[in-house]
Amino acid sequence: MDFYDLAGIDWWSTQCYYHALAYLGREGLIICYPTSPYVCLGLHDDLEQEIDRSYCEVRGLPLLRRETGGGVVYLDSNQIFFQLVLRRDNPALPLRRQRLYEKFLKPAIKVYRLYGLPAELREPADIVVGGSKCSGSASGDVGECVAYTGNILLDFDFDLMSGLLRVPGPDFRACLKTVMRQHMTTLADWLPELPPRSRLSAALAAGFAEEFGPLTQRLPDEELRAEAGRLQARLTGQSWLHLLGRRRLQRKIKIAEGVYLMERSHTSGESGIALLRGGRMASLSDCLDLLADGDLPPIHNTGSRRPDALPAEA
Amino acid sequence: MQLDKWLVPEDLHYDRKDYWVQPAAGEVVIGLTAYGQSVAGDVLYLELPPVGTLVRRGEVSGSIESGKWVGGLAPPVSGMVVEVNSDLEADPAGVNQDPYGAGWLIKVKLTDLSELDDLLSPGAYREWIEEQIRREREEAAVL
Repeated sequence: MDFYDLAGIDWWSTQCYYHALAYLGREGLIICYPTSPYVCLGLHDDLEQEIDRSYCEVRGLPLLRRETGGGVVYLDSNQIFFQLVLRRDNPALPLRRQRLYEKFLKPAIKVYRLYGLPAELREPADIVVGGSKCSGSASGDVGECVAYTGNILLDFDFDLMSGLLRVPGPDFRACLKTVMRQHMTTLADWLPELPPRSRLSAALAAGFAEEFGPLTQRLPDEELRAEAGRLQARLTGQSWLHLLGRRRLQRKIKIAEGVYLMERSHTSGESGIALLRGGRMASLSDCLDLLADGDLPPIHNTGSRRPDALPAEA
Repeated sequence: MQLDKWLVPEDLHYDRKDYWVQPAAGEVVIGLTAYGQSVAGDVLYLELPPVGTLVRRGEVSGSIESGKWVGGLAPPVSGMVVEVNSDLEADPAGVNQDPYGAGWLIKVKLTDLSELDDLLSPGAYREWIEEQIRREREEAAVL
């Protein structure tokens, strides 16, 4: 399989190259990360409902809408992306697309475990460590291909992610940040020092070779670069970004598989906040409720390293 | 997984992308079959072509999102969309819960009646499902 080990590239290239492969009908694996941050919408996200545009504009965060599913994500150089494009007539592609996730996410799970994190798959497509989500993933039919995307989180800006999403009010935003922090984790939470990205990429590539066969390293050729350039204009164009998408009467934000923070109406007419988790809904009078609930995983220290975490292997 | 799990009504036509088609005086109603909605997964959102759209057989004119996948909706016949199931906007799960009833997708005024001849009979569609079930068993052994 063709393998594009692109390291740090322009933010728009981190989406446009795999879309380009798909539209060209070319199979391949891409590993990369953006050199500057951006916000990425899923195919069916509604920009006006999901994103605080003025927040993004003030911070110079560009927007792009991808053709795969999933929700709004903040993406920056503290993540490593792995993107697999397969032709739809490839016999290795299962009829039920979600079934490939286990194979597709295995390399990333191995990388986390290599550094001592007890990572595992939470079906259909979350990687979790100690119950907390440590990756994002999505897939979709693009052109005559199917694209699968995932990432490894070195670190994550929870302030920024909770800030860019449009929410009913400051209490909801505060709860959002707390719930995200409680249900997500990154390498920075577990390791005293982050491994070099090149080492993580090499480990990922080795994992993909194991799962999908030998990789042939390539550089983006003129055809691929031209198609990616064409797609940049489309995927960042105003009419595409402003496509009408999924709208809900009340705000509902997915944090992880089976975990949602929701705006909830009371019979009195007032709005409240509820956390839906594992099929159970809990109304939150404020975010302190989240800390009082013994069921929740412990909050990791924001932005700091856990002193008792295992050291990275050489 | 067994064939008899998947209802295949005798009064409909089908295609290999798991759509059902119900003709009615120059128009057809289109939906996803029981087997098709199972393959798609729990439907979270549908982008259906608006009324007035000219759709072409096999060409993507809408999209469906389920779980962690997004795919195109490609009608099995060509024509103009005359009605869209707007109930699915609020409750896309209707596709999964009642694929042959409340989960219908669009109504199309046909531009080429002969395309109906290319669709599968219930018997032929059952054979198609059996092929897919065999394929899924082989996939499960590999994955």
